Amino acid sequence: MNQSRAFRAALVIFAAGFCGVLGYSAVNAIDYAEEESYSRDLRRVQAKTAELNERVLKSRSAMMSQYDPLVHALRSLRAVLARLQRVPGFLGRDAALDLRQKLREGEAQLRDKDELVENFKTHNAVLQNSLHYFPILANSVIDRARAAPSGGDVASRIQALISAIMLFDTAADADSTSRVLAAQRDLALATEAAQQLGLDHEQQLILAHSRIILERKPVSDKIVQQILAVPLPRIALELEEAYSKHFRAATHRALLLRQLLFGLALGTIVLGLTDVILRMRRSAQALELATAELRQANALLAREREKERELGELKTRFVSMTSHEFRTPLSVIVSSTDLLENYSDRWQPERRKDHLERIRSAAGSMDRMLDDILLIGRAEAGVLRPSPTQLNLQEFCRHLIESLEHSSARSHSIQYRFSGDPNVTLDERLLSEVVGNLLSNALKYSPAGSQVNFDVTASDEQCRFTVEDQGIGIPEQDTPRLFESFFRASNADQIKGSGLGLAVVKKAVEVQNGTVEVQSRLGQGTKFVVLVPRELPISRSSSSEL
Amino acid sequence: MRSNGPVTVSVCLLLAGLLSLVVINLASCRPREKARLEAEHEHDPVGEQPIEPLPLTFDFDAARAELGEVLFGDRRLSGDGKVACTDCHRQNHGWADDQAHSRASDRPDSPVNVPTMYNVRYLYKLSWNGKFDTLESHIDALMKNPKVMASSWEIASRHLAELPSYRQRFANVFPDGLTPSNVRQAILAYERSLVTPNAPFDQYLRGDAQAVSAEVKHGYAMFKSYGCSSCHQGMAIGGNVFERFGVLRDFFADRGHFDAADLGRFNVTQREQDRFVFRVPSLRNVALTAPYFHDGSAATLEDAVRAMASYQLGRDLDEQDQAALVAFLRSLTGEYRGRPP
Repeated sequence: MNQSRAFRAALVIFAAGFCGVLGYSAVNAIDYAEEESYSRDLRRVQAKTAELNERVLKSRSAMMSQYDPLVHALRSLRAVLARLQRVPGFLGRDAALDLRQKLREGEAQLRDKDELVENFKTHNAVLQNSLHYFPILANSVIDRARAAPSGGDVASRIQALISAIMLFDTAADADSTSRVLAAQRDLALATEAAQQLGLDHEQQLILAHSRIILERKPVSDKIVQQILAVPLPRIALELEEAYSKHFRAATHRALLLRQLLFGLALGTIVLGLTDVILRMRRSAQALELATAELRQANALLAREREKERELGELKTRFVSMTSHEFRTPLSVIVSSTDLLENYSDRWQPERRKDHLERIRSAAGSMDRMLDDILLIGRAEAGVLRPSPTQLNLQEFCRHLIESLEHSSARSHSIQYRFSGDPNVTLDERLLSEVVGNLLSNALKYSPAGSQVNFDVTASDEQCRFTVEDQGIGIPEQDTPRLFESFFRASNADQIKGSGLGLAVVKKAVEVQNGTVEVQSRLGQGTKFVVLVPRELPISRSSSSEL
Repeated sequence: MRSNGPVTVSVCLLLAGLLSLVVINLASCRPREKARLEAEHEHDPVGEQPIEPLPLTFDFDAARAELGEVLFGDRRLSGDGKVACTDCHRQNHGWADDQAHSRASDRPDSPVNVPTMYNVRYLYKLSWNGKFDTLESHIDALMKNPKVMASSWEIASRHLAELPSYRQRFANVFPDGLTPSNVRQAILAYERSLVTPNAPFDQYLRGDAQAVSAEVKHGYAMFKSYGCSSCHQGMAIGGNVFERFGVLRDFFADRGHFDAADLGRFNVTQREQDRFVFRVPSLRNVALTAPYFHDGSAATLEDAVRAMASYQLGRDLDEQDQAALVAFLRSLTGEYRGRPP
């Protein structure tokens, strides 16, 4: 029972473990759609950064005439980084913290980049406007100056500034810068000539635009360099690496979980099946046991019914025998009493005495019969217990013989022989029933003057009583039923008896754990051998009596 | 019979376990959801022309926008119930104001000229100093600002909840009915619906040569050659770049006085280089939104064009070019819900 409880507990633990791991892995299952979109976004950081850089460069070289593409690239970069904040749940908390830390870095870099781009646009718009408008303005002024007779000087100074600016535009180094500065100085010196030509406003505008170009181009170039230097791609790369590391860990975890799940499922299945098989076997055993019990109960019932039947038979026999056996002495008593009542005053005292003696004898025989019946009844009810006491067996037997010889007509001689240690522990009353009945039967059923041999042998182990007569003997067919109550041998009809004596012997012997056997030859004699243990354990009740 | 119960239970447990194993395996193979809509696919311009037409279609939640329109004009949004969005953003003035400095109820005058609400969804930065990146952050700040709405979404939604009709309308539009967040969402939806596509000049850009007059076409050429399109470019024709007011001439010296608001972006960034720098405004529907500039100092389009040419480009326009430029600017007025606004 204990074992099966432990088994059941193991099954429950396995099943619970299985369910637990199942639930855990369901919650933490790798969502491949989420994984795909996340890693696509990770790659997009790199791509979008490159796109932004490309658009900045295009914008700087006036290949793009609006800033919406820049703004869009920045906006989508921001959106991508915002989306990346939602780290897939299956990566676990540590991975999310790690990635978010890197994302914060990335967002800081993007803010820097955003600010730089903003700055770039502001400078670039003015610079591009000047770069675009300066040659148009300068050339139209040159044309107008050349149209005037004294405009050649101003025109050539403007021309020199154009060349210097164009050189500066290609390579903004110290050399080209000093050339522009020199050309600007030259043009500024020609203010008077320009005034005479009516071009002083244009001259100032040309100078203003050249100053814008000189001032803003290096700034713009520097900002572009800074924009390109923002380490967003490095962070993007780090992000990708960190993500792939965490993703590998997650897939490894998922694999382990699945293996664990498989093991638990297998364990649950095996334990479950074993449980089912064990239960089936146990119920089969229980069925078998129940069948056996039923069979036993049936047998018991049959035995009891048989016993009941026997008992019923016994009762019937008892009633018929007792009614018959009791009637004989009762009729003696009744008739003698009637006679005594009517004729006692007329009778001789001897005759009266004779009838009184008959009444006493009849009552005595009824009393003995009742004693026998009670003893048998007690034996059959299982309440007959020997009360052993220490006694001298030799003396005990001699007294018994003496009382028998005294009561009988001394027509027989009892040859009594005793051997062995006479001190035994036996039930005196039961023993007197056994020996008394066997001896009186021997006397009763043998012809007058014949001899009865009574041998008693007390060995170390047991006492052996042998009573042998030379009487009428017992027919062979009657021996099996010889010890039944009220059974009388077929050849004993002429001799008075109740049929209880041998039944009493048998019961009394058996109660003392002994045996009784009979050997008989019809018309020649009968021999009874009784064996009882030498010492009976002294029961508590008897010891208390002592 | 009695021992059958646990046997059935354990068998059921086993079957359930096996079934869930199968389900889990299937589930991990099945693509769970469609790929998310990518925001960057909306419209990514290439940038070869300085100006691009507004998209003819755009997505917005019509039911929410309709509710937002009502809220836009409702004074219950403000903390004291005195100010509505429409007090400054006035529909018949192109969702801007005809006053240089708007006055709403007892609030102090607005420090700058109120910009239009049209096409705000296409702007990169909002307000003159570019303080806000998104409509959300802009509207949140205005709600809390004690000089504007002096309110909060919670207060506004409490005020609105006093009217059963609002509760009903919100319940019709939002599953969770009238909540502070839903008040905000409705207004945002309305702001996103304020788009004016299909301006005559957009039609021209889309290939309809007859959509605009020759003067407009000339104006566009001037717009590019004068250098206006250096800053006023893109889909919104501005709104995506910051620039100093007064590149070639000093605007503020000529105007003669000076306000804190004139510092422009400096007020946001505190960087020296951002002094007098403003967000270049969108020129769409510009004909509707006089007066002009952050201080409202230009009363007419002509004034504005002249000032821009002078202070930003260092040039004085002749009458013809100025007229052409103004004609071009007038061709930038689009359609709101299919009609001229």
